[in-house]
Amino acid sequence: MHTPCHLKLHRKMKLLLAVIVLINSSSVFAEPDVSAILAASDQARGGALPGIVWEIKLISRDGAKVEEPQRLAIKAINQSSVATTLEPIRFKGARLLQLDHAMWLTKPGLSKPIPISARQRMSGQASNGDIAATNYAADYVANISSTAMLDGELCYVLELTAKTKRSTYDRIRYWVSVKRGVGINAEFYSLSGKLLKSARFSYDNVIRYEGKIIPFISKMTITDALINAETTMEFSDVKVQKLSASEFDLGQLQ
Amino acid sequence: MRRFVPVLSLCASVAMAQESNTDVTGTLYAYANTTMPRADSVLNPGNRVALLTQEGVTLEERGNIKIETALSRFTARPIIALANTNDGTGAQQQHSIYMSQWQLQTHASDGITIALGREVLNWGAGQFRSPSSPFYFDNGRSNPMRELSGVDDIRSVWTLDMQHTFTLAYIVDSAQSQSQFQPDPWRRSWLVKYDQRGEDWLLGGIVAKPSTLPAFLGGHGQITLSDAFMLYGETGSSSQPIALITSNNVISAFSYQMPPPRRATTLLGLAYTVMDGDTLSAEYVHDNRGYTAAQEHSYFQQAALQPSIALALAPPLLGRDYLNLVWQSNILETSGNWRLMAAHNLTDGSNQFTCYGEKSITPLFSLFVLGLRNSGTAQQEFASLFSSSITLGVKVAIP
Repeated sequence: MHTPCHLKLHRKMKLLLAVIVLINSSSVFAEPDVSAILAASDQARGGALPGIVWEIKLISRDGAKVEEPQRLAIKAINQSSVATTLEPIRFKGARLLQLDHAMWLTKPGLSKPIPISARQRMSGQASNGDIAATNYAADYVANISSTAMLDGELCYVLELTAKTKRSTYDRIRYWVSVKRGVGINAEFYSLSGKLLKSARFSYDNVIRYEGKIIPFISKMTITDALINAETTMEFSDVKVQKLSASEFDLGQLQ
Repeated sequence: MRRFVPVLSLCASVAMAQESNTDVTGTLYAYANTTMPRADSVLNPGNRVALLTQEGVTLEERGNIKIETALSRFTARPIIALANTNDGTGAQQQHSIYMSQWQLQTHASDGITIALGREVLNWGAGQFRSPSSPFYFDNGRSNPMRELSGVDDIRSVWTLDMQHTFTLAYIVDSAQSQSQFQPDPWRRSWLVKYDQRGEDWLLGGIVAKPSTLPAFLGGHGQITLSDAFMLYGETGSSSQPIALITSNNVISAFSYQMPPPRRATTLLGLAYTVMDGDTLSAEYVHDNRGYTAAQEHSYFQQAALQPSIALALAPPLLGRDYLNLVWQSNILETSGNWRLMAAHNLTDGSNQFTCYGEKSITPLFSLFVLGLRNSGTAQQEFASLFSSSITLGVKVAIP
């Protein structure tokens, strides 16, 4: 039997419960700023900085066959990068210049740079678009499709759609850690929706920029979805450094 | 080169005095070559004019030196070659030491670099020829394995931003003094070049002023049509120091025109990349400096009387129209690559087929082969000097 006092208490509890639900639901369903999330995650992969240099050690496996390791020195500003081969020794000094979606290769002794097509850029397990700085915020339209737990970490699951046909991938599903603001998993899709590759990212490096300490990518493992192949890229000697536009001038690439 | 040695030494010392990164590597080449000169050659009777190497063994070291500081960078590519050759008159030993390229570059201010050195000034996407560069030199006629040497210049490049670049250069010597008959037109010349780039296109304009000839005007461009297709072109208009005038009178000697009127050369190309990264390219070249079919016929008739002059003063391309097809394996492949080329002279019908293949055996050691086969008669351009040539060799990377 409910006394008036009990009824009053019951109403108060219902009200309190409603407020709690309201607060919780607003925190879950309020639309986070997807552009800010993507820009922050890009910065941890070299994007939106005045210039960055790093080294990549790249090891590929195709089935049971382990390819020859490569070591590259990268200089990058947003959509532009120069990758200089350090190893294997026989390719030392070969340079790959990427400016937006155009690319050229030059090697010591070559009379002039050779243009590289988008199809060649996509060749190899780690497409040459993967070794440059990431600027998904500029290249893709992003939407948050959901949140999900990945390796015990709450993530925004972003759906990225290429703004132009020139982007390295047509569509990307990207898991960005809510707490750390870095992308920890990605799936790369073709225009037809076929899964091409997936990638996992680790962030054991740090960079200092504008007084902030920013986690920076230390390892990227790319797994081919179509064949039994995998590429691991390890990032080291990362430094934020102002780079002149002349570093990315095709005429001075030799 | 000698005039730059003190500057070179000083700059290298300054660079080394600062905190610098020094890197010295190289590649050792060892290769054997055999060439079959035409027994019935009109331009090169008995191989007495061109003195083509019929058999040769070469050991060559191509070095790469780089010293880099925060403000400047010094690079050099010294070549040391020892060759044992035979041009049909007996074995000869030759050695050469030269700097194919070197450069000292410094950042004068943000976006402006000043460079001094010897560099290959080539640009554009053309493969068969590069008509937009007045300094283009085809080494395939003399020694396809020889590395191109650059021109000695002082250059300033103003990179306004990632899309616009402006270059001003003074050419001290272009090293194109090909013969006693042909002076170097580009010695002490000025070059102005402007490049602009969009997201999927590139355009460049070139003006070069030799000291004694009218200005060279050139342009190059490329546009990416899709993931697979790229369209490109190059053009150049200039006046050479001297041109051979052919005559229908086959027993008369050549006459000359100094300088001849301005002529243009244009290349148009289309490249298609297949899914695995191999690229197929087709290029068409129209060269107004070349001869018509009738003029080319007269040229060979008169060359029988004056083969030395005919060879030395021939236009860079004898004919007017050419088709060049290239099938290139994925250039980004690190284990090896190959290239097949077929050039067709549409004016006289001769052909040149070239193949190049390279395969890495170990991380430091690669094998390579270069083959050339010319088809046509002794009075057709591509087959006028030799019928075939093959080079087999090894490359060893020096860490």
